[in-house]
Amino acid sequence: MEKFKDIIRQYPFLGFIIAFFILMAIPSIFFTDLYQSHLSSLIFINIIVAAGLNIVKGYCGQVTVGHVGLYAVGSYTAGCMFMYLGASLWITLPVAILVTGLFGVAFAIPSFRLEGPYLALATLGGGEAIRLFIENGEFFGSTYGISSISQPELFGITFDTPDKYYYISMPIMLIAIYFSFSVLRSSIGRAFMAVREDPISAAASGINVKKHKMLAFILSAMFAGAAGAVYAHLPPGYIHPNNYTVIEMVTFLAMVVFGGLGHIWGGIIGAVIITIVYDLTRPLYEYQLFIFGLTIVLTILFMPKGIGGFIDKYFIDRRFKKKQGVASK
Amino acid sequence: MLLKTKKLMKAFGGLKAINKVDFELPKNEIRGIIGPNGSGKSTFFNLVSGVYDPDPGSYIEFDGHDITNEPPHKVGELGLARTFQLLRLYQDMSVINNVMSGYHTLVPYKFIDAVIGRKKIWDQEKVIKEEMMELLSFVGLADYAEMNASELSGGQRRLLVLARAIAGKPKLLMLDEPAAGLSPVNVDNLMKILMRLKEKYGLTLIIIEHILKVVMDTCSKVTVLDHGEKIAEGTPSQIKDDNAVIEAYLGKKMDDEEMRKALAV
Repeated sequence: MEKFKDIIRQYPFLGFIIAFFILMAIPSIFFTDLYQSHLSSLIFINIIVAAGLNIVKGYCGQVTVGHVGLYAVGSYTAGCMFMYLGASLWITLPVAILVTGLFGVAFAIPSFRLEGPYLALATLGGGEAIRLFIENGEFFGSTYGISSISQPELFGITFDTPDKYYYISMPIMLIAIYFSFSVLRSSIGRAFMAVREDPISAAASGINVKKHKMLAFILSAMFAGAAGAVYAHLPPGYIHPNNYTVIEMVTFLAMVVFGGLGHIWGGIIGAVIITIVYDLTRPLYEYQLFIFGLTIVLTILFMPKGIGGFIDKYFIDRRFKKKQGVASK
Repeated sequence: MLLKTKKLMKAFGGLKAINKVDFELPKNEIRGIIGPNGSGKSTFFNLVSGVYDPDPGSYIEFDGHDITNEPPHKVGELGLARTFQLLRLYQDMSVINNVMSGYHTLVPYKFIDAVIGRKKIWDQEKVIKEEMMELLSFVGLADYAEMNASELSGGQRRLLVLARAIAGKPKLLMLDEPAAGLSPVNVDNLMKILMRLKEKYGLTLIIIEHILKVVMDTCSKVTVLDHGEKIAEGTPSQIKDDNAVIEAYLGKKMDDEEMRKALAV
C-alpha cells in the first residue's frame, strides 16, 4: 500500500488514469436510466466550476461572488459560436476557455484595491452585469436563450444523449482536476495561500501579490469557462440567462464552503454532495435557497474548513500520533 | 556597502517619521537599531523593504541596486528578507508550507511546467522540501512540520518566522523585535540559533530590539534613532555613554543648580 502511494505521488497522472477507467465503467454497472447520466454530467460540470472557484476563493482568499458571470461567459461563447458559426464543442471549448480567461482579468483588477466584502460587492456587480447584458442583447438570444446547441462528434459517434455525453464531460472534468491539482500543489499554490494569509508578508518573501491574484482569477475563470462550454453543449443543448443568476452563485459557493475552503479536494467533494442534494430537493424548490444559505452559515460557524478540513485533521492527527508513538518507544 | 540610504525621509501628514537618515551597512555586520517607542525604527524597516514609498529626495541602495521606489516583492527578490513586529505568520498553513513559501523566489521551475504537472516539478519539490526540513530541524521545529502554524507556541512562532525569512537565502536579514515577549531563557536560545544561522548562511543582520542585553551582546555597531532622526552611531560601549542617547531615553541630565530651580517651582 505504501509503495502504491509512492508511485502515485511520483506519477500523479497515473491516479487520474485509474480514476478514468473506474468512471468509464460506472454507467454500465450502476446506471439504470438516462437521468442518472444527466445528473452525473451536471456533477462533473459543477466540479469543474467548484475546483476553479476553490483556486481563487479557497487558495488565494479573494472573495468573488461574480463567478457565475464567468460561467455564463463560457456558456454563451460556446452558444454564440454554435449559433453563428455552427462550431462544435471541440472548437468552442478552447475558445470559451480563452475568452473567459480574458474576462477573468477584468474581475482581477478590483481585487488589487478591494478586500473582503467590498470585493464581493464589486464582483457581484460584475457577474450580474454580464447576465443582464446577455438577457437584453438580441445577439445573445436575449430571454429566449439559445437552443438545440449541437453535441460533439468523435470517432463517428455523436454524443447526443445524456448517457453518451457522460463520456465527454467526465474526461474534461478529470483533466480540469488534474490541472488544478498540479497548480495548487506547486509553489504557485503555496504563493496563493501566502497571499490569502498575509499579502504584506508574502510580498516580503518576494511573492508578487498582484501577479498571483491576477493568475488566480484567470485560472479560475478558465475553469468556469470550460464548465460553461460543456454545460452549453449538454443535451438537449439549451442555455438561458436564468441559469446564471445569483442563486446559482450561492450554490457554487455552498459547494466550495461545504467541501472545504482551501482544501485541495474541497470543491470536488462539495460539488458532488451539493449537486445531489440540490437535485433530491427539487420538489422543495421554494426552500432550496434557504437551505443552501443556512448550509453556508452553519458550515462557516461549526466547521469552518468544511469536510476537507475534517479529513485533513484526521490524517494529520494520525501521523502525529504515529510519530509520537515512535518517539516514546 | 550592502545597504545605503541617503537623506531618507518619510512624513505622515505633518509628522516626520523618518527625517534625513543617512545609513550605511557593510557586509557581514550585525547592526542594532534602538530608540524609544515611536522613534521611527519600524518605519525605517518599512521604507527599506518597500512597504512604504519614501518621500522624494530619498535614496536607498541595496547590493548595488537602486531600490528607492521598488515594490516589496522586488526588494525581496534581490535578497533582502525581513520579519515583522507582529510576526505575520501564515496562520492557516502548515509549518513546512510557511517555510517553503519563503523559498518562493528560488523555485527553479517555470509556471507552465507546474500547470502541466511535469514529473520534474515533483522531483524538484521534493528537493526543496528536504532542504526546508533541514532548515526546520536547524531551528528545532522539524517535529511540528505538518502542524498548522496557528498551533505553535509564542516562542516557536518566533523561530518559524526566522526560518521563513532565511528560507529565501537572503543577503540581508532585517529583524523587527525578534525577541519581543520571550522569557530570558528563550531569548538566549533564539539569539544562539540566530548566530548559528548567521554563520551558516553568511548573513548580514539588522536588529531592532528593546531588550538592550541582546543588542549590547550581539551587535558590533548600534544606530540610535529618536523622533525620526539618527542621533548616534557607534559600538555598544560608545552608545552606552553617549549623552544624546541617555537624553533620548531618560531625559536631560541636570546639574545641581538646574535641579534646585526645577524643584523650587
